[in-house]
Amino acid sequence: MNLLSLGVLRKRGSFVKGFKSGVYDKQETRAAFLFIMPALLLLVVFIFYPMTRALLISLENYNLISGSSSPAGLDNYKQLMSDGVFWASLGHSFYFAAVVIPLQTMIALGLALLVRRTFRGVGIFRTVYFLPVVVSFAIASTIFKLIYNKDYGMLNVILKGLGLPVADFLSNPDIAMIGIIILCIWKAMGFFMIVFLAGLNNIPDSLYEAAHVDGAGPVQQFIRVTLPLLKRTTAFVVIITTMDALKIFVPVYITTSGGPAQSTSTIVHYIYETAFKQMNMGYASAAAFILFGIVLLISVVQLRIFRTDVEY
Amino acid sequence: MKKRAAVLLLAAVTLLSAAGCQSGSKPGGAASNGDAGGKEAVELKFWRHDFAPEAESLNKLIASFQAKYPNIKVKMELIPNDQYETKIRTALAGGNPPDIMALDGPTLASYAHQGALLPLDEYMAKDGNKDDIAKPVLESLTYQGKIYAAPNNDASLAMFYNKKMFQQKNIPLPSKNPDEAWTWEQVLDAAKKLNDPAGGVYGWNPTPWGFAGHEGAPFSEMSFLWQAGGEILSPDMKTAKGYLDSPENKKALEFWNSLYNTAKVAPKELPQDAFANGKVAIHVDGPWAFGSLEQNFPNFKLGEDYDVAPLWKDAKQVTPNGSWNMAISSKTKYPEEAWAFLNWVTGVEGSKQWYQDTKNLPARLSTADAFQELKEYPMNIFVQQSAKYAKPRPVTPAYPAISEAVRLLFEDVGLGGLDVDAALKKAVTKIDSGIAQVEK
Repeated sequence: MNLLSLGVLRKRGSFVKGFKSGVYDKQETRAAFLFIMPALLLLVVFIFYPMTRALLISLENYNLISGSSSPAGLDNYKQLMSDGVFWASLGHSFYFAAVVIPLQTMIALGLALLVRRTFRGVGIFRTVYFLPVVVSFAIASTIFKLIYNKDYGMLNVILKGLGLPVADFLSNPDIAMIGIIILCIWKAMGFFMIVFLAGLNNIPDSLYEAAHVDGAGPVQQFIRVTLPLLKRTTAFVVIITTMDALKIFVPVYITTSGGPAQSTSTIVHYIYETAFKQMNMGYASAAAFILFGIVLLISVVQLRIFRTDVEY
Repeated sequence: MKKRAAVLLLAAVTLLSAAGCQSGSKPGGAASNGDAGGKEAVELKFWRHDFAPEAESLNKLIASFQAKYPNIKVKMELIPNDQYETKIRTALAGGNPPDIMALDGPTLASYAHQGALLPLDEYMAKDGNKDDIAKPVLESLTYQGKIYAAPNNDASLAMFYNKKMFQQKNIPLPSKNPDEAWTWEQVLDAAKKLNDPAGGVYGWNPTPWGFAGHEGAPFSEMSFLWQAGGEILSPDMKTAKGYLDSPENKKALEFWNSLYNTAKVAPKELPQDAFANGKVAIHVDGPWAFGSLEQNFPNFKLGEDYDVAPLWKDAKQVTPNGSWNMAISSKTKYPEEAWAFLNWVTGVEGSKQWYQDTKNLPARLSTADAFQELKEYPMNIFVQQSAKYAKPRPVTPAYPAISEAVRLLFEDVGLGGLDVDAALKKAVTKIDSGIAQVEK
């Protein structure tokens, strides 16, 4: 553990300011070490240890109930490579993410721009948009399940009333994922709206005034001032949304159980089913590690893309 | 840089919360070992899924048991239905299971295969009145020649139909005789006449909970294959290849496909209480439906608005069976006491009390014999079906894979628009890899 902690220290060394050689250096290292200790201990006990265990389990034939296991080497990983259901569920997750990340970010930013201005009753709008965030995902999913029902759900009753075709989100494999996407955006947009609102409020008015003096219209102000200065906020929003999107589980589990015909079975749903229903813990852990690798890679790439030098 | 590291760390933490839950969780806390001081005093831990009327009956049985055996204390813990299986499995994984657990029939082989359950043969032979338990039920509780659980009750399905709708369309009513089930064609014929898309009425709902994500779906769907004369596994339960993809099953699935996609008599999404609300004319349900219909829809009366007929048949008459049971953990320190309680609840007298309180289909012949109402319509249909036509789901540790494969098979065909051959091929592959996994 000592080695591990030092490794982390060294990695983070660059941000311990005033890093000099000599006695101070040693003292500082010791102090930093002590400060990091409690957090590190928690990480080791609750994150690194379970993760290492999971990694070991992914290399075994491990049944959930018996706890007995036999070494499997890389068999689980090899088998996953040719497991069509695994890849399909990964595909569903990426489809979900590819739609949700840009769409939800744009909606959240749009809402933030709308409720940023101060007018009478703006508080009501802010509250209303934020309300879904407070609702438990389980409850929201249950309610959407009722709303979506093909014959008697509120959505389809309205669509029918307007003479529009019925949207059978719960039984049509082609559009089922869209139903989940709508639910998730509805649920999360309020939170990111608040994040964007904070980012917008951090941009000094003087910059807009200067832009105005230089003759920039509202669109130009948005593109040249707002967007660049929101880069850090956007980075935060996009990275968190990406991780949330790739881990989506509860709404899938409750509204569709991965159906119809597995069209909404996301990767985490697949892992859950494999581990707890099929009781195949080793295989599920291997799938979880592949997911971990993929998401880590994406996060690193995203961090590079969103690296910014703009300070304000 | 600092921010980057922080976000990266954040990324790792959030991610790992997903990976972390995959590792075998080991809940703390020692198993309840009763009172160490008193030599006689024993505390038994008993877990069950929460269902109010049944919990009430169990409380009565626990009270009478404790009055008879004052040294034994039974601590029942009720667990919400949808969390029950996960909780039991994590407790078994953690080596900290309850002494006695409620056990859903199809999970038995998985648990027994992993050595989690105590074989009950010895106890059954001693004072369990084994021969009193219906044969198909006992078969469903036997894995590799040993009995691993005792049944609380059995379950079955029958055809429920809206009598008024039948009369309006001048359709002759089906027989109430358990031996004179309607054929699929007869039901479809009636369903086509009853179907009314404009009025939002579906002719025939062939599976009790619709395309549900739980065991309820394969429970009825497996019988559908068996009715066509098909099989799911080879007799030695080593493969599905050549059995599940038989011509009989293809025919059954083509028929299933027609219900949803050509004749369109079956609802792809089953609305809540569709039958009682007159949105489904022919429904399938179990004996539990009477109580809930009476309670929630007092104006929808048996004999006036609806009636019950035996479950439909095709080449064969086959009905599903199997319900909740009780099993003893192989890790218990008090097998004798645990059996005493198990037998108190599921034995000859306990079963009668259980039937009186819950009205569940009895698994014991003596119970079926003791109540006149079980010999009369409508319960006689369920009782006689269970005695003559019930076929248990395959008792194999690969059952979770089989259940999932069959559920998806019917979904792929009914909803997914997948060709029957392709869907069958997928199901066979899934089952066979499940069997291979268990044998590792």
